[in-house]
Amino acid sequence: MNSATTRTGKKNWLHLLPGAGLLVSFFLPWVSWEPASVINGYSFPAGDFFKTAESKFGLGNPFPEYNFTLLAFWLIPVLVIIILCLAFANKKSALLACIAGALSLSLIAVFILFTQTLISLGAGKDLLSMLKPWIYVQGICAVGFILTAALHNSWLKRIAWILVGPVFAYASFMFIEQYLEKQTFSDTANVKTDFTISSAELIKEFMTNDTSANKKYLEKMLVVNGNTSAVEILADSSSTIKFADSTGSYAIFSLEKIHLDEVKKVKPGDAVSLKGVCSGSVFSEILGTTFISFKRSTFNKK
Amino acid sequence: MKKTILFLSLITITGSIFAQPLTTTSAVVGFDATTPKDGLPKAENKAVIASLNKTTGAVLFEAAVNNFAFANEMIQGHFNSDKWMNSVKFPKFTFKGKITDLSKVNFAKDGSYTVEVAGDLTVRDITKPVKTTATIVVKNGGVSTTAAFLIALTDYGISGPPIDGGKVATEPKISVSAEFN
Repeated sequence: MNSATTRTGKKNWLHLLPGAGLLVSFFLPWVSWEPASVINGYSFPAGDFFKTAESKFGLGNPFPEYNFTLLAFWLIPVLVIIILCLAFANKKSALLACIAGALSLSLIAVFILFTQTLISLGAGKDLLSMLKPWIYVQGICAVGFILTAALHNSWLKRIAWILVGPVFAYASFMFIEQYLEKQTFSDTANVKTDFTISSAELIKEFMTNDTSANKKYLEKMLVVNGNTSAVEILADSSSTIKFADSTGSYAIFSLEKIHLDEVKKVKPGDAVSLKGVCSGSVFSEILGTTFISFKRSTFNKK
Repeated sequence: MKKTILFLSLITITGSIFAQPLTTTSAVVGFDATTPKDGLPKAENKAVIASLNKTTGAVLFEAAVNNFAFANEMIQGHFNSDKWMNSVKFPKFTFKGKITDLSKVNFAKDGSYTVEVAGDLTVRDITKPVKTTATIVVKNGGVSTTAAFLIALTDYGISGPPIDGGKVATEPKISVSAEFN
């Protein structure tokens, strides 16, 4: 009896130790992204993970509408606390421990795969130097937690629990990557307008303070109304329409050849309303003026 | 005396008109870094400023980096990111060059002329020499030019896993065309 209790106690401690490690390391730094961004394990369900990636590297959650699913990873600390309580009450919790371990390992896989992608955007030089010791602690504890929780299970089942999280994370990541590689921009006509402004006001705003104007309008969808100063049809039937002010500074919209028939009807001086994505302003040394360019443009019909 | 002054003035004015470079704000620059593994890194900028001086042969181009339009959202984001073109810090690229054999071109006569252009391409504030063959077409008083050349991304401090992995060409093709009317 005493011997059995001791064995159970040892087993419990063997199980509780990785559990405690899993809990503590979840709240500690897992990776660092240059410059000076340390990301903790809990940053993923808390939303800071994608928020930081988006603000620093322009790569956020591709499906922000499903942000709520990230909350599932709060189950890692929650389950560990429940399991630890159950262990003290000498109750079985093998399934919960395996779920917590599998979730933890899938989260580690997501951190590694995403950080690897961010390297090409300047987040660091190599993956190993970006990983913090606590991500290794998390991984070791997750494996230990699964192994010690399911002692009665076969090795095959235990290995399956260890692999299910990373395999699922890897498959999901690959699927999302493929999806993003095939994704094209939406038709400008169907994209929500961020700002509507007259060409004169727009040029004036850029001329007054180009830094703040670039910050405000860069990559935003604008509708610009004004009188055209020039229309050019290019060799491939695409075209450009310009609005210029008295100083020669101008805003220029590039339109694809599908708009050719409409462009042909526009003459310098005509009032038009154009919609496009603002590429910001640049000072031209050739012309000695500022120009603001727009891509993926179309005629505004709303 | 008055006639002489008038004559000299006319010569000066006429000379300065002919020395005025041709300019356009709708030149097209293409960027093609596609590989057999990936056909996505390809874009065009159709609002490029170009200038050609028929007297000196000076050729200039200026393009807003952020105005390169890619079909794919993710690739466009990568192109403009800090590690690649860093379009926020380096918003334009420029080419300043010269037609080295300008005497081959008769701007007064319709025809197609093949010339050599040499100059400096500045990307991300790094300037490297570029030499290429260009075609100048003179037709009905209008002048159009086309040229293409390769650039090594490493020359401009651009490297990374997509290049190493063969998803982005190590030497993308830059094509340039401009119509001066």
